[in-house]
Amino acid sequence: MDAVRPRRRPPTLFRQIAARLAAFTLLFAALDVGIVVFTYSRQPESLAQELLTLEATKAQAGGVLSPDLLTGPPGAESWSARYVEPGSPELRRVGETGIDGASTLVDWTRREQTPRGYRISGVRAIDRGEERRWLAMQFEGDGIRPYVPVIVNEIIQHVMLPLIPLSLLLLLFNVFAVRRVLQPLRHAEREVDALEPDNTLLRLSEPSEPREVNTLVSAVNRALGRLDAAMATLREFTANAAHELRTPLSIMQLSLDRLPAGKQRDELQADARHLTRLVEQMLDLAQADALALDGHVAIDIADIGRDVVAAMAPKVFAAQRDLRFESFGDTAAIGHPEAIFRIYRNLIDNALSHAPGVTPIDVSAGPGPQLTVRDYGPGIAEVDLPHVFDRFWRKDRRSSTGAGLGLGIVQRLTEAHGGTVSVENATGGGASFRVRLEV
Amino acid sequence: MRLLLIEDNARLGSLVRDGLIPQCFAVDWVETVEDAELAMKVATYDLLLVDLGLPDGDGLDIVRRSRRDKNATPILVLTARGGLDDRVTGLDAGADDYLVKPFQIPELAARCRALLRRPGASLGTQLAAGNVVLDCASRSADVGGVAIDATPREINLLEVLLRRAGHVVAKPALENTLYAMDAEVTPNALEAAVSRLRKRLTAAGADVQVRTVHGVGYALFAPSVSGE
Repeated sequence: MDAVRPRRRPPTLFRQIAARLAAFTLLFAALDVGIVVFTYSRQPESLAQELLTLEATKAQAGGVLSPDLLTGPPGAESWSARYVEPGSPELRRVGETGIDGASTLVDWTRREQTPRGYRISGVRAIDRGEERRWLAMQFEGDGIRPYVPVIVNEIIQHVMLPLIPLSLLLLLFNVFAVRRVLQPLRHAEREVDALEPDNTLLRLSEPSEPREVNTLVSAVNRALGRLDAAMATLREFTANAAHELRTPLSIMQLSLDRLPAGKQRDELQADARHLTRLVEQMLDLAQADALALDGHVAIDIADIGRDVVAAMAPKVFAAQRDLRFESFGDTAAIGHPEAIFRIYRNLIDNALSHAPGVTPIDVSAGPGPQLTVRDYGPGIAEVDLPHVFDRFWRKDRRSSTGAGLGLGIVQRLTEAHGGTVSVENATGGGASFRVRLEV
Repeated sequence: MRLLLIEDNARLGSLVRDGLIPQCFAVDWVETVEDAELAMKVATYDLLLVDLGLPDGDGLDIVRRSRRDKNATPILVLTARGGLDDRVTGLDAGADDYLVKPFQIPELAARCRALLRRPGASLGTQLAAGNVVLDCASRSADVGGVAIDATPREINLLEVLLRRAGHVVAKPALENTLYAMDAEVTPNALEAAVSRLRKRLTAAGADVQVRTVHGVGYALFAPSVSGE
């Protein structure tokens, strides 16, 4: 059975997870940035310290050993940078901050409030190869602007760098995990695709894990069980309806036969025959719809054709018409014998009621798993061709020859065999119905 | 001919009984499996007409029990069950024929006679259709009381066709009767034999018709059955 898929496919679970993960990463990054900014704004000393370190890093990374080329942070005023020698007063000021000795060389930073803002000064060690030099920096600034490079740097260092690889790793892990989790679902999907209405006993195999898929699959199986029960009820109903309707119909027909002969009796008998045919066709169709084709066996289409022709010949001869059968060989097939019998019978009945006069009816089997029933009537008008298999459709709605279900029954029974039924106007006149079973 | 009708629907039972009596059948009618078994113990029947859905059991059980007891009485199943597998189930159980409701009395009577005409059944010794009568014991046939001159091979053919009068007999079944005569069977031996039989019957003024069903076989129709 063809799996009908929508043209625009809905997003996969993987895409949904990836999108959510990206959104969460962004949210988390924003939160992180907020925290960084908030923390530093509460600790201007730390900011100042980072600022000088950043400037020193620029000097070192760029190989700029001439401090005059350093421009300082944006918005800085009275920027100065120069190398100092160990033992110079700048270094010695370390002593003032309580760390001992002029010979102890350390980085330091100082932040002072000034009337116009703040003054930041400090010293950083810069290594170049074996050589170590000391860079003394000082500037005055106001507000947050000089700190912007530091904050940007901090965000890159502490938010972007750790979050991006982490997100990618999470994404990768999710792809893998989702694939694994969906595996039993894909398996179940294949099994569901293979389900046929004719084989209602089939169930999906329930995976032991994950539990979510297990419960879904077992729920589907329970639903299949209920459908199965419904089909059984339908079949049962059909059998009961057959019994309930056929017995009163018999009584009616036999009672009518005992009425005194006359026009009224003839009309009533015709009505009863019509009613009987209608009921039988509806029951046949219901049976065909509910046909469980587990009863498929090896059959010979030609043998069944001969049986049908033998069974129907008296009726056809009584209508002053001829019924002929021909087998073209190679007629072995797999199918339901009684269903094939009814396909033939309904096609012959159709030919009987639609081809007029005393024209013969030709029935053939083969070559291969196919059969044809051909009449020598007027054939089928082009406009009627699409309707002939419609249920309750009749070319002449006032015609009382049948319910218009015969060809619908043929189609349903053929479909139950995985076969096709087609009709064409035969060369030399008349309609030719052809039923092909699945090879 | 004595028939036992087992049918639980009172109106249908009386209609069938009253319909068959004018067709020269004596009909005993019971409504339950229990009564049917009692009736079969005290009387001998030529044919059983069995409805399947009975108040105290399934009619198929009567069929099965009857066959298990090696009872060869022909059984015709009358049923409202017309499902795809029901006919096969009925015949597999041992029924000889299967008639789905609703049916008409002439058809039922014809089927009953066909069963009774089987070899070994009650009507099996003298076969008749229209004005043709065949005596199976003396191997002779007459048309309207006048004996016809027919070969043993033609008598055999006529017998098979008469036993199944109104029904199509398949070619292989007819060819077997020719083989049984130890005669040399050529591909169109059957056609030739049927053609000779047909001519002989027509010449004798028989009102039966031997029709060819192309690709299947032949059928003998008595005037009333051919629907003319």
